[in-house]
Amino acid sequence: MDCSLTLGNLIGYQFATVSDEERQQVEAHLVECTSCLRSYLALKAHADRGGDAEGPSEAARLKLRAAVAARFRPTPTRRVGRLLTRPVPLYQGLAVAAVVALAAALGPALARVVHPALSAHVAERVDTARPSPESITLY
Amino acid sequence: MESDEALYARVKKGDMRAFDVLYARHASRLFGFLRAQLPSRADAEDVLHEAILATLESAEVVFDRGSFRTWLYRIARNLVLNRARSKGRGELAMVRFGASEAPRSGADDDVAHVELLRALDGAVARLPQPLSDLYHLRTSGLTYEEMAVVLGIPLGTLKSRMNQMVNVLREELKPWTAP
Repeated sequence: MDCSLTLGNLIGYQFATVSDEERQQVEAHLVECTSCLRSYLALKAHADRGGDAEGPSEAARLKLRAAVAARFRPTPTRRVGRLLTRPVPLYQGLAVAAVVALAAALGPALARVVHPALSAHVAERVDTARPSPESITLY
Repeated sequence: MESDEALYARVKKGDMRAFDVLYARHASRLFGFLRAQLPSRADAEDVLHEAILATLESAEVVFDRGSFRTWLYRIARNLVLNRARSKGRGELAMVRFGASEAPRSGADDDVAHVELLRALDGAVARLPQPLSDLYHLRTSGLTYEEMAVVLGIPLGTLKSRMNQMVNVLREELKPWTAP
């Protein structure tokens, strides 16, 4: 492949639109021809920096950084809001439900063990609430 | 290396170090993309500011159809198009590069390369908008898949337009690439 064909294909080579055969021809020529290689490297460097070597100014960066910080920096209100709106994972919900169910099931038994007097008082109150055989009048 | 998406989530929680990393990763190339389409550095810096802030402020970004980068470029491109609509395309036409001069005969290699690059700039500036978008997105480092998402076109259409864009540039650069 001569220089004119190679240079014509450099853009396509850079953007990977050439066929495999053309790509191999371009690469074979670039290895041998310093001038075409330099053209290719210049094109590649130019394209890689988007045609503009300079980036945004430092002032622009600082202005944007300040705007982002003002918008997203955590404040006490935002922290509380985030805590309240934080989704609760399923396993945490299930764990809480299990504890509540266990407390409901074992609560009365535990209360009798810990406070026997209270349990007896409750039992007595229950007994007095029942009608005694004497209070029943048969008609 | 931490992904853009993870950094994005951290910035939204107020982590400014994550912002610094994201900025260092994308600002320069995005600025190049904007600079190529807007008449001044000030315009490009304004749109860069708006695009990054708007991307970060998006309430719901779904990354399953594209990356943070595609989202960022999509917003930036829309902002450029909005400016073009509001100001009129004439004002926003590529004014950085005039018509290319004819190549100088007998120029040495360095001069020839400079002229080739100037010719490329001129040729890119004269590309119609859809092809110009392709050139600038590709030189910003986006993959074909990412470009298709940004432009909202099928991958096959994108590849076909890439071929068209390369052929146009190739024709435009013929006087400079001929021996």
